[in-house]
Amino acid sequence: MSQTATDGGGGTGSLRSSRIETRANALLGDCRRAFHAFGELDELAENLRILSLNAELAAGRAGEMGRAVRALTQYTRELVNRLAQIQGEMNSLRARTYSLSSTILRGLLNLQLFERAAELINAGSHDGATRTAANRAFAETMRTLVETLGDMASSVEDLSRRAHGIEEVVSQSDSIATNIAIEASAAGVHEKEFRTVSDTMRHYVDDLRKMIDEASDSVRRALEKGESLRRVGLENLQTLRSNGFLE
Amino acid sequence: MNCVTLFRREGHRWLAFSNDGGKPDAVIDTNQYVVCADDGGAMLLDPGGMEAFPPMLAALTQEVAVENVRGIFFSHQDPDVSSSLPLWRRVCQPETRIHVPALWVSVLTHLDREATFAPIPDEGMEVTVGGQVKLRLIPAHYLHSPGNFHAYDPKARILFSGDMGGALVPAQAKSGLFVENFSSHVAYMETFHRRWMGSPRARDLWVETVSRLDIDIMAPQHGLAFKGDDVKRFLDWISRLELGSGCAAMAK
Repeated sequence: MSQTATDGGGGTGSLRSSRIETRANALLGDCRRAFHAFGELDELAENLRILSLNAELAAGRAGEMGRAVRALTQYTRELVNRLAQIQGEMNSLRARTYSLSSTILRGLLNLQLFERAAELINAGSHDGATRTAANRAFAETMRTLVETLGDMASSVEDLSRRAHGIEEVVSQSDSIATNIAIEASAAGVHEKEFRTVSDTMRHYVDDLRKMIDEASDSVRRALEKGESLRRVGLENLQTLRSNGFLE
Repeated sequence: MNCVTLFRREGHRWLAFSNDGGKPDAVIDTNQYVVCADDGGAMLLDPGGMEAFPPMLAALTQEVAVENVRGIFFSHQDPDVSSSLPLWRRVCQPETRIHVPALWVSVLTHLDREATFAPIPDEGMEVTVGGQVKLRLIPAHYLHSPGNFHAYDPKARILFSGDMGGALVPAQAKSGLFVENFSSHVAYMETFHRRWMGSPRARDLWVETVSRLDIDIMAPQHGLAFKGDDVKRFLDWISRLELGSGCAAMAK
């Protein structure tokens, strides 16, 4: 019976994976915060839809004096439809982002374990072929992770575009609220009713704006981190390629 | 991680890997085994959890090229047995066969959805490591897992017994891989077997089966291995042990 020993090493000093892990965790955190902030979008869109229906009824009751308001509420309905479309896209994006998050977290864990294995093998008395195989396994794990991080960065860009779409809806809704308020002042007995519509719409617009402000901050940070991660990942892949561990 | 050669006859070898000095204290110590065949092929038996993967890969590749691993056997589904599956699949050849109890195929897919498994039927089967080296996969259901197998090598006369015979031995009480004093070793395995093994009927059937085998070494996944007369001592001891101690808590 013979006995040999390999130092366990303790799994410290995984510089490449820890750099990526720190950034990736921050990116995932910002994505979670952004989606959390957008969580109220459903309710706000529904409120705006109901308001546009009520406004249209009020405009109908006002007859000729409500003609302009009716046109404005129809435009509001188009905005609500646009919001519903963005909302659907955001739901798909959320599912995709969480799925990518899960793949990234698993990839990070694998990366750390392969890095530890490669460190132990590089520090041991293994032959060149074994060292190359271990480093290649690490490199392949890194490549898969970098590809997923690239997909994540694209998802964050998509999220940013959707956030911008909501901003446009908010801005146009704000203008409509202003115009309804102007129409209200010339609506005689219907002034109070139209002003209530305008004020309520402003209130929803404010809520939407607040939501956008909160989410945009997280989206902006996520965009920066996504880009930074992509760079770090590509640098790592370049190093691994120049060391001959990746084709 | 230490590597001990349990058996060697030309290219036919049994290697035991244990005592990962670098693992966190909270991670339970496991023994990993590798059977090598005379034609260079190798099979990993319960290669361990993901925490054990880095030192295990490093230790294994000092003895066996990872390209030569043609099979991986998972005795059951526990994470300390199987959570390294997706990592091993990355370093082993795509054609490496992954033998798992049929009962656990759809559960282990949660660890690695791209893995293709070679299911072991409830009755067990024989698998070839390489050349003339074959392992008999013996049913050990409900000991403790409901879908569970042990691996017996009739040429090396070694039984890999999974959790059966497992013990939580403090590092300071270990001086090698084998039990040196069976009576004092009982203290390290009694609570474990009483609590984890739930079926006296399964235990009796397993003892009956295993008693018919010629066993020089019984090698569990945790703690120390038994050799010579200690194998018989273990079988006598487990035959009399009251199992299913968790039921006491349910009766309260």
